Amino acid sequence: MTDPASFEALLAPLLPTAYRAALHMTRRPADAEDLVQEAALLAFRKFHQFEPGTNFRAWYLRILTNCFVSGYRKAKRQGPTVDLDDAPELYLFTRALALRPGTDDPASVVLSKVDAEHVTEAIQALPDEFRVVAALYFVEDLSYREIASICDCPVGTVRSRLHRARRLLQKALWSVAEERGLVPGAPKEA
Amino acid sequence: MADRFTCEDVFRRLDDYVDRELSEDESARVREHLAICAECAMEYRFEDQLLATLKDKLRRLAVPADLLTRISRALRENR
Repeated sequence: MTDPASFEALLAPLLPTAYRAALHMTRRPADAEDLVQEAALLAFRKFHQFEPGTNFRAWYLRILTNCFVSGYRKAKRQGPTVDLDDAPELYLFTRALALRPGTDDPASVVLSKVDAEHVTEAIQALPDEFRVVAALYFVEDLSYREIASICDCPVGTVRSRLHRARRLLQKALWSVAEERGLVPGAPKEA
Repeated sequence: MADRFTCEDVFRRLDDYVDRELSEDESARVREHLAICAECAMEYRFEDQLLATLKDKLRRLAVPADLLTRISRALRENR
């Protein structure tokens, strides 16, 4: 029988990452806690399948992601989602330059105005399949290959979803900033 | 000797370059272009800084203090 203490010793350092990923996936703190706990219980029951010395972080995050996809996602709790159309590359870059022409630090034009809650809100506006890879990407330094292993999908799928997710995130972030009055309305397109 | 990358070549690879997912050869050619193209360099700096800052902000999100305690209790109750 698995000793809880030895399992917890592996899980404890991972909990901040797991909770933050779960929060972005589920969109609600209470659901995120439940998801992390559910995944922990499942991982504990399957701990005999885990090969000591291998990547516990990826193994557990895979269980967590599967729990989300098979369980919470089915509840179809849909928050507001960003429009999938019209999310070109360099979305924030062009708007930052329009806001402050000639600046040599366009990043600070946007980044100085948004905090973690704004970013979280923007991620939570992403559709499920983009939000899951974005959640894993932002909370931990995972490669495309690691995210693909966790999500059980091809590396190419992770790559395209992540790139698209980041473009959509920029659009959502700008929308949040506009709604909060942090930036003026969108500049006219050239 | 491989052809130098154009702005278009770098633009198409920017996401992968920011993620450190390009081959060494392609990364070197992107760097070579960024060293001589101020506009591409500014775009790269923006995207790189944006992602780094977003990651930093998100990794500071508070985690419930009792989460491990709650899980620990659940593990023992479920044995």
